[in-house]
Amino acid sequence: MRFMVIVHANKDSEAGVMPSTELLTAMGKFNEEMVKAGVLQAGEGLHPTSKGVRITFTGSEPTVKQGPFDVTRDLIAGFWVLDVASRDEAIAWMKRAPFAAGDEIEIRQVFAAEDFGEALTPELREQEERLRAQAAQK
Amino acid sequence: MRFMMLMIPGGYETAAPGTVPDDVERVAAMMAYNKALMDAGVLITCDGLHPPSMGARVSFPSGKPVVTDGPFAESKEVLGGYWMIDVASRDEAIAWASRCPATPNEVIEIRQVQEMADYPEDVQAVASGFEDMQTTARRLPEAKSLRRA
Repeated sequence: MRFMVIVHANKDSEAGVMPSTELLTAMGKFNEEMVKAGVLQAGEGLHPTSKGVRITFTGSEPTVKQGPFDVTRDLIAGFWVLDVASRDEAIAWMKRAPFAAGDEIEIRQVFAAEDFGEALTPELREQEERLRAQAAQK
Repeated sequence: MRFMMLMIPGGYETAAPGTVPDDVERVAAMMAYNKALMDAGVLITCDGLHPPSMGARVSFPSGKPVVTDGPFAESKEVLGGYWMIDVASRDEAIAWASRCPATPNEVIEIRQVQEMADYPEDVQAVASGFEDMQTTARRLPEAKSLRRA
């Protein structure tokens, strides 16, 4: 099962403040453990929303709105993608993450093709698998 | 430049456990969009996420982990899925997102991914092993499926 671990933004991440050397070292060690255990598929940090945009689809044409956005607690600062046997295993890994007091992460299961049922017709499923195979080669 | 297109579907914060996309036409439209991204050589990866009611949060109020099961009452908006794309500019990312067959209750947020070169030199020195780690991690799914086979 694959899980996305969402690291929520805070005032510092939104202000573009870089983590301390101490924290980066601890995160590096934690990432290395997950790689060695074969559970880490991806991990990235995102630039603050002040450099981002939002696109809404309420009118006949999409509307572009420049950041920053004001729902700080719901914004995303970074993420990991884990491949583990259960939600409990994902939680156990993340309880060990070297976060500071006040930090918060969210763990969400990633959809697999079999979750879609009949909406993903055999043709669409085949197309989906082809897309993933091609994207993985990039 | 790598960008994430974050799909934020209005109302997904209260979606029941087990909610899945079940509209065949809409899934087909999204697949056609994904294929267009793929054919243009810009798609790195994309995923959809089960609703937050099936998820968990780990917070560290005093430094120690506290686990809370979803749904999360205080959420105003949540992530439904994402695309990671590789394009020449932010404008190109905006152009791609604008082509998405999204519905009026959906918002796409575009965020640039941090590259090693974006960090100050002292941070780069500490994080120097990270790119190697990412490369190793990307090879893992392939290695795993080979082991299963």
